[in-house]
Amino acid sequence: MEEIVRAEGLKKTFTLSKKQQKIERTGETRRVAVNGLAFSAYRGEIYGLLGPNGAGKTTTLRMLSTLIKPDGGDAFLCGHSVVKDPEKVRDRIGFLTSDLKLEGFFTPDYLFDFFGAMHGVGKETLARRKKELFSRFGIDKFAEVRVRDLSTGMLQKVSLVVSIVHDPEVVIFDEPTNGLDVLTAKVVTDFLRELKGMGKSILLSTHIFSLVEKLCDRVGIIIDGRLAAEGTLEDIAQGNLEETFFRIYRERKGEIA
Amino acid sequence: MKLAALMRKEFHRFFHDPRLVVTMLLPGLLIFLLYSVMGSAMNGKDGKNYRVYCDGTPPLVTALVEELAKKSDDTVEWLPLEDEEAARAEVKAKKAAAVLKFGEGFDPLTEGGNVEIVYDPASEDSLNFYSLVTASLNELGRRFQVDEVLLSAADAMGRSVMQSVLPLIVVCFIFSACMSVTLESVAGEKERGTLSTVLVTSVKRSHIALGKIVPLSCISMLGALSSFLGTALSMPKLMGVSLGFLGGYSAWSYVLLCLLILSAVPLVVSLIALVSTLSRSVKEASAYTSVVMILVMVVSLVSAFVPVMGDWSVALPVLNATVQMQALLGGALPVWQSLVSVGANLFYTAVLVFVITKLFSSERVMFGK
Ligand SMILES: Nc1ncnc2c1ncn2[C@@H]1O[C@H](COP(=O)(O)OP(=O)(O)OP(=O)(O)O)[C@@H](O)[C@H]1O
Ligand SMILES: [Mg+2]
Repeated sequence: MEEIVRAEGLKKTFTLSKKQQKIERTGETRRVAVNGLAFSAYRGEIYGLLGPNGAGKTTTLRMLSTLIKPDGGDAFLCGHSVVKDPEKVRDRIGFLTSDLKLEGFFTPDYLFDFFGAMHGVGKETLARRKKELFSRFGIDKFAEVRVRDLSTGMLQKVSLVVSIVHDPEVVIFDEPTNGLDVLTAKVVTDFLRELKGMGKSILLSTHIFSLVEKLCDRVGIIIDGRLAAEGTLEDIAQGNLEETFFRIYRERKGEIA
Repeated sequence: MKLAALMRKEFHRFFHDPRLVVTMLLPGLLIFLLYSVMGSAMNGKDGKNYRVYCDGTPPLVTALVEELAKKSDDTVEWLPLEDEEAARAEVKAKKAAAVLKFGEGFDPLTEGGNVEIVYDPASEDSLNFYSLVTASLNELGRRFQVDEVLLSAADAMGRSVMQSVLPLIVVCFIFSACMSVTLESVAGEKERGTLSTVLVTSVKRSHIALGKIVPLSCISMLGALSSFLGTALSMPKLMGVSLGFLGGYSAWSYVLLCLLILSAVPLVVSLIALVSTLSRSVKEASAYTSVVMILVMVVSLVSAFVPVMGDWSVALPVLNATVQMQALLGGALPVWQSLVSVGANLFYTAVLVFVITKLFSSERVMFGK
């Protein structure tokens, strides 16, 4: 199996602001969010990073998508280093989180073309992809409606499609179903399955066991910025992910408060 | 290609939103209406009666009177010129508007010729009448030689007020025009998380910065220009100075004036963009920008009434434009100072764009908590 994402000893330390120290009632000025994380995801699979709040999932995915720089270690996407070749990485991945928004003023049609241009996709390729993706995901019906007038489900579809405008090999998705109702969540999970069908590799983070069980081929459990376990669902969980997770958590952190 | 798409997006955002276009252009129109109404209220609606001494040959007077009647409901009382000294004294004392003397062979209907006009720019009536006459002569379309005799310095009343106030107003407009689009576009996009969506793509950070600054500057120039025109066109009415007064500057003065305004706009846009990038929200950014604006206004105000700014002021961003505009409106032609100011402003803009590029790449600024 071909490795498409490989993290090697990724490390990220944040300096906590005064305000943040106050909110979290802590005197420490530095926080190690990711601490020597290493894992591999293979081409064509859906890999899930599973971890509790504050485990460092978002931070990891942001480093992989080159939004922030690791202060130790490195990661390779399609063979390109996020430290040395961030721009090459950016053209090969699609990154999606609920923090990344689309401007409500524009239409899906305009945004698709705009982000196509941002990734340097040629005009003809872009037109072809637009036609194909818009009809496949049913966006052509509201392609000319301003994004701010769309329902959450429609908006989610548009965000998903725009994130793969440049036909990336890897799609990285932070908390794909967080805050969505069951219908919109289904739009997302269907989309991810569809992407897998197209041969894409998908890396997602979540704290929801059922999502991992439904979607993921392999899973990495992340606790306190380190990888605690990794493998296929059968390998690490023998059918009961939840129980396994709590067992590992207790081993690492002691009793759950 | 990516840069072009970024710029197109910014223009599209603005020009396809009627609300934005209207809020950008409306101030100019409002100012014009407001000042004009204030101006006519202050100066009274009824036509004036000018007392004018003249050694007039009848055909000229007839032609002039006809022209004058077309232009306004002002009337002219023509008085025969007997004692020129006494007549001049009356003009100076604001009892008469002007003294007109026509040269040999003056014929407004077929030939042209020369005419001497004695007036006092310090007197509102006299100045108004002077512009009426020059405008009427122009209308007649022949070649006249107008010899002007000024009874006081040309930089009288209106000019001195315009000179110190107009640049301040212009800077104020530049700030408000730049603020309205830049805060929304930079701080707004950062706050709403639409800027990060662009940051995940492979587009260069410098292109993102330029893709904001260039279009926003063009749009702000429109706004600043609209407000400036509104003011420039209504100021004369407001102050009872006729428009002919604005025509008193050379073409070069106008070129320099425009260059100064145009160079200040991208600088102010970059400044606000910088503040916006560092802020977490539009609210925060607008608070900081207001502080910057007040600072610039206070310094400009001081420079307007303390005319001892040395040539070193050309190095001060934004302020250099105010100082040079004041000099230009005062009738001077500070060519190199103006050009150096424009250059300095462009240089500062480039520096700011560079800094903004760095900030766009800084994870603490863009993704800090
Ligand atoms: N920009 C930042 N500045 C300071 N601290 C940060 C920053 N980003 C994250 N952290 C801290 O790093 C730790 C890991 O955060 P991260 O967001 O990666 O966790 P997560 O696994 O995504 O959690 P969640 O499920 O809550 O999204 C947290 O303690 C968080 O407070
Ligand atoms: Mg998270």
